[in-house]
Amino acid sequence: MEYIFAVLTFTGITVIGVLGSYLVTGLTGLFSFGQAAFFSVGAYTSAMLVKNLDVPFLLAVPAAMAVGLLAGFLVGYPTVRLRRDYISLVTFGFGEAIIALLNNSANLTGGAMGLSGIPQYTNFAIVWGSVAVCLALAVGYKHSKYGRQCLALRADELAAKAMGINVNRIKLVTFLFAAAMTSYAGVLYAFYTTYVEPGAFGWIVSAEWIIIVFVGGINSLTGSVFATLLLTGLPEMLRFASEWRIAVYCVIVLLIINYRPIGIFGEFELTLKWLRQLGKKGVKAS
Amino acid sequence: MSRLEAKNLSKAFGGVQAIDDFSFSVGERQIVGIIGPNGAGKTTAFNLLTGVYPLDQGQVLLDDEQISGLPQYQITQKGLARTFQNIRLFKGLNVIENVMTAADPYSSYNLADVFLYSGRKRRRENEVRDMSRSFLTLVGLAGYEEEKPENLPYGLQRKLELARALASNPRVLLLDEPAAGLNPSEVQDFIRLIRTVHEKFALSVLVIEHRMEVIMTLCANIYVLNFGKLLASGTPSEIQNNSEVTTAYIGEEDEACLL
Repeated sequence: MEYIFAVLTFTGITVIGVLGSYLVTGLTGLFSFGQAAFFSVGAYTSAMLVKNLDVPFLLAVPAAMAVGLLAGFLVGYPTVRLRRDYISLVTFGFGEAIIALLNNSANLTGGAMGLSGIPQYTNFAIVWGSVAVCLALAVGYKHSKYGRQCLALRADELAAKAMGINVNRIKLVTFLFAAAMTSYAGVLYAFYTTYVEPGAFGWIVSAEWIIIVFVGGINSLTGSVFATLLLTGLPEMLRFASEWRIAVYCVIVLLIINYRPIGIFGEFELTLKWLRQLGKKGVKAS
Repeated sequence: MSRLEAKNLSKAFGGVQAIDDFSFSVGERQIVGIIGPNGAGKTTAFNLLTGVYPLDQGQVLLDDEQISGLPQYQITQKGLARTFQNIRLFKGLNVIENVMTAADPYSSYNLADVFLYSGRKRRRENEVRDMSRSFLTLVGLAGYEEEKPENLPYGLQRKLELARALASNPRVLLLDEPAAGLNPSEVQDFIRLIRTVHEKFALSVLVIEHRMEVIMTLCANIYVLNFGKLLASGTPSEIQNNSEVTTAYIGEEDEACLL
């Protein structure tokens, strides 16, 4: 039972990470191969503050998010001006640079050995409570002028500019929002596992999140959450399948690319309105 | 007084002089046309006006305020809206959202309102939605609000582009071949529509068009471009009787043909 809770807690943390990837990659169309770096920034900042400097946890959380925002600004401000393919290169480089930094400043971060003995302050309830809040924030963002402008510039950047949209600003705002959210996920991670090491935050993690977003549906928060549960929760639960995880990934991704390029949910969102309509139809049918 | 004034615009792409010393002006509430053979630089002129490309030389004034050199989005916010020759609607957004995006830059709520689901956000969103719906009704797209733009017939997509351009609250409307791909009755319909919005919003309109019926019925003044240079300008009847224009369009009269 405890094991299942642990798996679900990790899944919840991944959901928040994937939400960040959704905002940047799904909603805005910028391939961020360095999203997991923000995860590590959040995890390490908060862990070091609490462990080395005895900062109270509740203060370490906003501090970690602030550092995440700062890192997001440093990498985001110049990159939003670039063409899309260069954005993935820069974010990729940024992500790997962060890992190298963590590996090489061993006296602060413990280097490749990692940082252990972090107190366990978070649990299943806190993580899933956070998931609910982050999801609410992301839904609100998507259904606002910001989300609309993100979708518009993803579809046609030139036309978006011609409609008076400050494309660079919207990209940066979205990038920072995602950076803060992912840093927060990092904090949850560090204070749940009690141990962090640079290897856990490489570009593979960022790529995995992007894959999850695309499997779920290019423009569907519902899909992102569902695909996270499917692709991270399930293989852990079904232990025998976990060795086949990468193989399962590849098969699923290939199937999706071939048969449903818009992802499982495409642009569909699970909303109250839709449920109500479904209810009505159900009543009519019976 | 001229509302939009372009002075000595020049632009070269490599060795090609796409626009060469082109000046023109559009008066308040005036409809002005730009015509010219394919590749004459008409769309390039639009791209220079709206800031897609930087100018090599020259300047653009909107109500005597210089707008050339500003980023594209600021030029639009100053009051220069455009449609595109090959329709560029936002896929992934439905019809009404396409129109809303153009009104969004003026919608005054911020991130805090978004995250707190504030009443202010809800009210502003409703205002923008109502306004966008009124633009859709005006161009005859009422009832299509929730459709995907790419599923609309071509003529309606053109109208949607017009509605979207209007939602950005322009003083000058730039229409790049608005009648391309429309059948004769749709063209008449579109001419009426341009007249309507021109009257209703007291707009100045600059229109590029190949269909002479559009240009000749709508425009008070016409500029003819050829190889990036101004070939002639004047009223529709002056242009129709200009031999240089005929030459540029259909070639020279060969004496052999007259025999």
